[in-house]
Amino acid sequence: MSEFRKLTLAYVGLLALLALTVGSSFLALGAFNSALNLTIAAAKAAVIAILFMHLASAGVLPCLAVAAAGLWLMILFGLTLIGQ
Amino acid sequence: MKSPMTSIAFDPPARETAAASFAMWVFIGSEAMLFGAILLVFMFARLSYGDAFAGAAKHLSLPLGTANTVVLITSSFAMALAHMYTAARRWRAAGRALAATALLGVVFLAIKATEYAREFGEGLAPVLGAPFIYKGPDPVHAEFFFGLYFAMTSLHALHLICGVIVIGGILALWPRTIEASRFRRVQAIGLYWHFVDIVWVFLFPVLYLINR
Repeated sequence: MSEFRKLTLAYVGLLALLALTVGSSFLALGAFNSALNLTIAAAKAAVIAILFMHLASAGVLPCLAVAAAGLWLMILFGLTLIGQ
Repeated sequence: MKSPMTSIAFDPPARETAAASFAMWVFIGSEAMLFGAILLVFMFARLSYGDAFAGAAKHLSLPLGTANTVVLITSSFAMALAHMYTAARRWRAAGRALAATALLGVVFLAIKATEYAREFGEGLAPVLGAPFIYKGPDPVHAEFFFGLYFAMTSLHALHLICGVIVIGGILALWPRTIEASRFRRVQAIGLYWHFVDIVWVFLFPVLYLINR
């Protein structure tokens, strides 16, 4: 697949996920609304990181930097929200 | 013209590209800490004052927030094209894609300014000494919501302004920049721009959607 086609598919996918997240907010799903919106946001972030930022082919060091940031954010969120 | 190689550590030049990329990823990691901490404060407050936050969030404009998300995603697509054209040495197309990215960034900021003006007009902006007039229940925690909303979105907008300025600088120096430096610069600003997009991808549902 050509690079242009791949990027265009990623762009269309991001717009589709945006439509899904806005549409789902009009459904009364209770606490599931928040979980769904955050899951879709994570999916959009993954599309941007992998296809636009080329994280998968960036090598070991960038992946290490992302993993370190993710670990510290997990500690930050985990220790703060534990017991909430 | 001077060589981009400045020390033996960057011989061959691929090392310099790898070092620049790694540095940007470390910087992005530190930025993730900054936005992560603010997002955590918001989530903690939302868990504590859910009803007040849900009521206050309904005063935000979903159409403008959604339009801005489309604009920012499109700008990220343009930036990804700029990176692709730079790698293919299609300099004219790369320059146009960079200019489109910056222009879409300005459109995002204009829409955000329209939103801010509307919120200031309705008395929903407890910042810069503006009066806060809220007729719904629990105005104290609604004011907290709008304080966090302005802190988060203005910090994001500040990052976008910096990105637009840097793209403008890259384009201004474009004709006098050697090819290897063009690629490194587009790669660096590209990573930054996409990260700012990712931040908005989380801010949009957290502020505009999940409180509805």
